[in-house]
Amino acid sequence: MFQVLRHTAKRPGEMRYALERLAPDDYFDHGGYYGRWEAVMELLLEEYGLLAPGELDVLLGAADGTGPAHRASPIAPKDPQKLPPDRTAPSPNSRTVRRELAEPPLFGVGDRVVALGVNQTDHTRLPEYVTGVPGTVIKIHPAEVLPDSTAHDLGERAQHVFCVGYHAEDLWGNEAEAGVVINVDLYENYLTAVGEAV
Amino acid sequence: MSSGTDHHQQIDSRSPEVRTEALEDLLVEKGIVDRSRVDALIDRFENDLGPMVGARLVAKAWISSEFRERLLADADEVLATEDIQGAEMEHIEVKANEPGVHNVVVCTLCSCYPWALLGLPPNWYKSPEYRARVVREPRKVLSEMGLSLDAETEVRVWDSSSETRFLVLPEQPEGTGHLGLEELAHLVTRDSMIGVTKAQAP
Repeated sequence: MFQVLRHTAKRPGEMRYALERLAPDDYFDHGGYYGRWEAVMELLLEEYGLLAPGELDVLLGAADGTGPAHRASPIAPKDPQKLPPDRTAPSPNSRTVRRELAEPPLFGVGDRVVALGVNQTDHTRLPEYVTGVPGTVIKIHPAEVLPDSTAHDLGERAQHVFCVGYHAEDLWGNEAEAGVVINVDLYENYLTAVGEAV
Repeated sequence: MSSGTDHHQQIDSRSPEVRTEALEDLLVEKGIVDRSRVDALIDRFENDLGPMVGARLVAKAWISSEFRERLLADADEVLATEDIQGAEMEHIEVKANEPGVHNVVVCTLCSCYPWALLGLPPNWYKSPEYRARVVREPRKVLSEMGLSLDAETEVRVWDSSSETRFLVLPEQPEGTGHLGLEELAHLVTRDSMIGVTKAQAP
C-alpha cells in the first residue's frame, strides 16, 4: 500500500478522497478496512495509468468492468473560488502538513463559532453532524494545509485549525446523553463567529 | 461454480484476498512494488509497532508527575525527546482521565489513529457502527464494551477530523504505586488508550 501511494496519491487527502469515491458496497462490504484499501489501490492505479482499466479482472478471468475502480465515482470538479485564497507559508524542511502562518488565528479560545457546510460530493474534513450548530473553541492546533484543496490539487491554502467543543444536547436535542461533550477539529475556513452567520 | 470439479473455476474474483494477491503479483511484475520491501514492512508492523510504545508513555506519566505535566502540555516535545516517530504523528495530544472526566477517541470521517503509539487499529475502531455511534451515544457504546460510567462523570469525545491524533491517559489502578515501569506498562491496554476501557488491575 505504502509503495503504491508513492506512485499515486501523494497529496494530503488524496487517498481519503479516493476511499470516499468507492461504491458503497466496496467501502462497506468488500472485506472491511483492508478490503477497502485493496479497492482503493485498484482505483488509484487505474487513475494514474499504472494499470489498464479492467486489467486485474482480465487477469483473474472475470468479466471486464466488474472491479471496484469501474464502480467508483469520478473526481468531482471543484470551483477554486469556493475555497479560501491561497497564501504563502514557508515550506517546511521535513515532509509534514503543518505550516507556520504569518496571519494570526481569526478566533480565540472561548469564542463561539459555527460551521456552515453544504452537502458536497468533493473532499472535505467537515463532519456533517456539526454543521449549523454553535460550538466553543477550546484549543488552537498547529496550522495545516487544507485537505479540501490539496485532495483536488488546488494548492495548499493552509489554515489555522481549531478544536471546537459541542454539547451533545446542541447536536442531538432530546435524544442526547447528559454530560457529554464532542470535540471536533475544524479548519478556519469552515468557521464563522456566532452572530455574524447567515 | 456448482460442480467443484475444476478448482480454477472456484476462485472468487471478487474476494479482496484473491484480488490483493493478484494485484501484488501484477505490481511486482511491473516493477512498482518490491516484494522484499513489502515483507520488511509486514515484519515491522508485526514486530516493532504496537501499543507498548503508548503504554510506556502512560506508565512513565503515572510514575512521574513532572513527565505527566509535560506530556499533557506538549506531547510533541516529549515524543521528539523520546525519539518516537512514525506514521500519523503530525501532532499528538494526550487527554487525561481523572475523577469526573472520561475521554474517548474516534474518527467519524475515516479511521485516523495514532499508529506509531498504538500499532494497528482494532477492527471495531474502523467499523461504521463505532464511528457513527460513539459521538451520538458514547455512554451506551462504552457500557456495551464493558465500561459503565456514573452519571456525574463527564464524557469527552475527541473526533480526529484534522491531522491531530489523540491518546487517552487512563487513570492508574489503585494499589499499583509500588510497581515499576515495565509492570505498570503491562496494565495499560490498547483499548484503555483509545478510552473504551480502564487500565487493567494487576
